[in-house]
Amino acid sequence: MEYLSLFVKSIFVDNMIFAYFLGMCSFLAVSKNVKTAAGLGLAVIAVLLITLPVNYLLNRYVLAPDALFEGVDLSFLSFIIFIAVIAAIVQIVEMVVEKFSPELYSSLGIFLPLIAVNCAILGGSLFMQQKDFMNIGETAVYALGSGLGWFLAIVSLAAIREKMAYSNVPKPLKGLGITFITVGLMGIAFMTFMGLAL
Amino acid sequence: MNTNNNLYTIIYTTVIVVVVAALLAFVSQSLKSKQEANEKAETIAQMLAAARYDFKSELDKMSNSDKLDMYAAEIERAFLIDLQGNEVRDLGTDRDAIEVFSPKDLKRINYNIKGGANATGEALLPVFWFRNGSVVVPIYGAGLWGPIWGYISFQGGTPTIGGAYFDHESETAGLGAKIKDDLSFQLQFEGEQADFSQANVFEIVKGGAPKEADGKSVVDNKIDAITGATMTSQGLDAAIDTWLAAYAPYFNAEEVVL
Amino acid sequence: MSQKLKETILNPLFKGNPITVLVLGICSSLAVTVTLKGALVMTLSVIVVCGISSLILSLLRKTIPGRVRIIVQLVVVAMMVILVDQVLKSFEATYAIDKQLSVYIGLIITNCIVMGRIEAFALGNKPWPSFLDGVANGAGYGIILLVVAFFRELLGSGTLFGIDILNWMGYVPNNLVILPPFALILLGCIVWVQRSIQKDLQEQ
Repeated sequence: MEYLSLFVKSIFVDNMIFAYFLGMCSFLAVSKNVKTAAGLGLAVIAVLLITLPVNYLLNRYVLAPDALFEGVDLSFLSFIIFIAVIAAIVQIVEMVVEKFSPELYSSLGIFLPLIAVNCAILGGSLFMQQKDFMNIGETAVYALGSGLGWFLAIVSLAAIREKMAYSNVPKPLKGLGITFITVGLMGIAFMTFMGLAL
Repeated sequence: MNTNNNLYTIIYTTVIVVVVAALLAFVSQSLKSKQEANEKAETIAQMLAAARYDFKSELDKMSNSDKLDMYAAEIERAFLIDLQGNEVRDLGTDRDAIEVFSPKDLKRINYNIKGGANATGEALLPVFWFRNGSVVVPIYGAGLWGPIWGYISFQGGTPTIGGAYFDHESETAGLGAKIKDDLSFQLQFEGEQADFSQANVFEIVKGGAPKEADGKSVVDNKIDAITGATMTSQGLDAAIDTWLAAYAPYFNAEEVVL
Repeated sequence: MSQKLKETILNPLFKGNPITVLVLGICSSLAVTVTLKGALVMTLSVIVVCGISSLILSLLRKTIPGRVRIIVQLVVVAMMVILVDQVLKSFEATYAIDKQLSVYIGLIITNCIVMGRIEAFALGNKPWPSFLDGVANGAGYGIILLVVAFFRELLGSGTLFGIDILNWMGYVPNNLVILPPFALILLGCIVWVQRSIQKDLQEQ
């Protein structure tokens, strides 16, 4: 049951986009149509599912105080190690996507490698460090939930944007402008989940 | 140079990683004692602020050396207690042997209070008695973006709070950061009473704590949360509850002198 | 100064603004714009980090293996920021400043602007123009940050740089404005204004 509440919490209450506003850049740029958005969302889920457990193990057995040897605290290396792991895994995911779905690869463009700097991915690892999960199972559940939350956010925004393309938006507001405002409103709506005790 | 050659890639990456790690490790090691001295002085200033010796902004103007002097002069007793409230051992209070607890140390104690997989042993809690009658205890917990911690001082051994000071690692400036920057938030604690008889020892109430007719806060265990910083306020509430509940046996014991 | 260099400096300030045109650096612009002071500190930090990172990576650009490009960029940026943090933490005089900055350190390393400009400019240009490009993008980012922070602090707290401006008149701070989503709405309005002036940026 704890896993279930952690899972639901990480999708809605700790939603990467609407609660913490992490991963905005690619979120805004790739949400023009549902298909590409779903593709990026799946890539984010995949990267989170791989990097979070790996970083969890690294944190537990290498970086944490007294983890490697008594009295040795390597946590100042956390940032760099997490980033290096994420960048390496993104590189691999990039190669896999290029091989199995070349059209997705070209439509994602620069935002596939930019997953490496996606604040949501690094944020996930840093939050994992803070939340002190008991075991790798909890970490994986959190990773899946966070990824799904991001996926949910970007697909819903893409769906709204697709519909808005047919609306009478004033020219200067078309595209980026109305998207910013829409995301702001969605953010306010998601605040209903904030502080929910699950 | 063929920069796409596999061997070159591997060597280059290895060299960069080794150089960066070595550089960071070297810098971190050589600067460690200086950083720790700064951190110790900062911790002392936070405790003195909680004990109402002066405003933190005034204490910040003192040099590290002066802060150590002030602590050595004003500390009456400092010791560790266990979760049953019994004194276990004294803490160093001489000017050159001051034992205080950095946020990292507080994190460890926090694990031990909570038990669970990350605990390293028995929880030993520090208590600081100052010459002005303040009894200062630390608290530590999780805010929205990172850890939050601080000190609460009680008047004598009573549950009446004399003052508080909080700090954080990465809360939002202008919102969660108010636990540190907003004096009026910290001043709310003065005069309130911690209720050691229940698990919800202290409450930070979203929407406002009960007030008297003249607008002053009712003397109870509740204060106002920070508007717009719900998560940080909740995190602080939880941290205070966890730690004060751990200190409850000590405060409830009859031996505690008023 | 050559025309090209002039353009490198002026472009990011308006026409090629990293936030409103390139859509980079959004995350941090929501978090640090609650107060003008926060926005200013973040701006200065990003200008320094972006400029120097672009400079260093431009110097290294011919040696970086293609496949590990991103890792190398990230590692260099992260190392620089962490080194500055470590040094500031050690001196009594700068310790207080570091405590203020450490909140932003994570936000600076992952700021898409730094990475984005390294990828788009520094890796293909000489060190001096790269440095200028980094600084200019930091400045363009800062302009938007300061505008957003101006409204958020004024309407959300009634103050500017901590100095009370509206509260003494009985103004009740608007709590909606202080929330991150409102920063997004403000950004939308800024884009609206910009694209009304610069019609070629309008989407079809």
